[in-house]
Amino acid sequence: MKILAIVLAVAFFTVAVLYWVGLFGGVHVKHGILFAGLGVLALIWLRFQSAAPTRAR
Amino acid sequence: MTFAQAMFLAALQGVSELFPISSLGHTVLIPALLHWKIARESPQFLSFVVALHLGTALALVVFYRTTWKGIITAFVRSVVRGRFDGTSDEKTAWLLIAGTIPVALLGVYFESTVRSLFASPLPVSLFLVANGAIMFLGERLRRAQHAGRGKGYRVLEEISWLDGALIGLSQGLALLPGISRSGTSIVAGLLADLDHESAARFSFLLATPVILAASVVEVPLLFTPSGSAILTEALAGGALSGIVAYASVAFLTKYFESNDLRPFGWYCLVVGAVCAVLFATKVIA
Repeated sequence: MKILAIVLAVAFFTVAVLYWVGLFGGVHVKHGILFAGLGVLALIWLRFQSAAPTRAR
Repeated sequence: MTFAQAMFLAALQGVSELFPISSLGHTVLIPALLHWKIARESPQFLSFVVALHLGTALALVVFYRTTWKGIITAFVRSVVRGRFDGTSDEKTAWLLIAGTIPVALLGVYFESTVRSLFASPLPVSLFLVANGAIMFLGERLRRAQHAGRGKGYRVLEEISWLDGALIGLSQGLALLPGISRSGTSIVAGLLADLDHESAARFSFLLATPVILAASVVEVPLLFTPSGSAILTEALAGGALSGIVAYASVAFLTKYFESNDLRPFGWYCLVVGAVCAVLFATKVIA
């Protein structure tokens, strides 16, 4: 699952950059921010998998 | 747009963004009813709207400042530790994320298309009627659904991630002008077996990042020549919208402690139906 999180993070950040540079029919700032946010969430998911697997509940 | 019209629209935005009666619907219907010639797609008006949304979002942040402080702290702690500790603030933080993703996706991809298709008085009137129906139907379904359970309503921390995502997704209906974002999300919260107070609180918390992010992204519009031309109206309107929104959220959180959505449902049914007749029969062009 760590691999999936990394792949998703890279994919989301790539799409964000492509939106910002205008490769999808013009510059789309909001679309880029959305995908950058998803990229950050994918990194957080990776962080959760990398940390100790103990849970309070 | 005159200064008086701008202030009226600002106050209207502050109330209708949080009351479950559709802010966008009202900003389409009222200028049409009053024969105001407002170019809704002009850069000046868009700059003005950005300021109103920013005012509303800041009012929500200020009203829930203690809650947000707890939520953000719990979220950061959860990420740093890399695990869920199951605290109430942490669960709320992740529910807000689960609820924000679907509406952000829908908003980014479909908002402008849907609004350009339906943002005229007659469809808006009909959607306002539908908004009233959603609230009545939601209250009815919720009573029927809860009757068989024989226990109290759930609190926010007890709902599942899927419930959080579905409540967020329900806000997507509000892309249709006349359907209220807070109305649909409160109804979805009720159907997740929350009480009115918790459903409204979650709806307002859920609204904050969406409105704030959408307006912050557009802030540069205020500093373009078209934005500068309307800067006084935008600043005064943003402040007024924020003050009214703060009063609205204070009122609604108290109101939902012991009341339900039906009065708003009646309002939407009656106003929507009257407006639909007026616009359909061209009594008001």
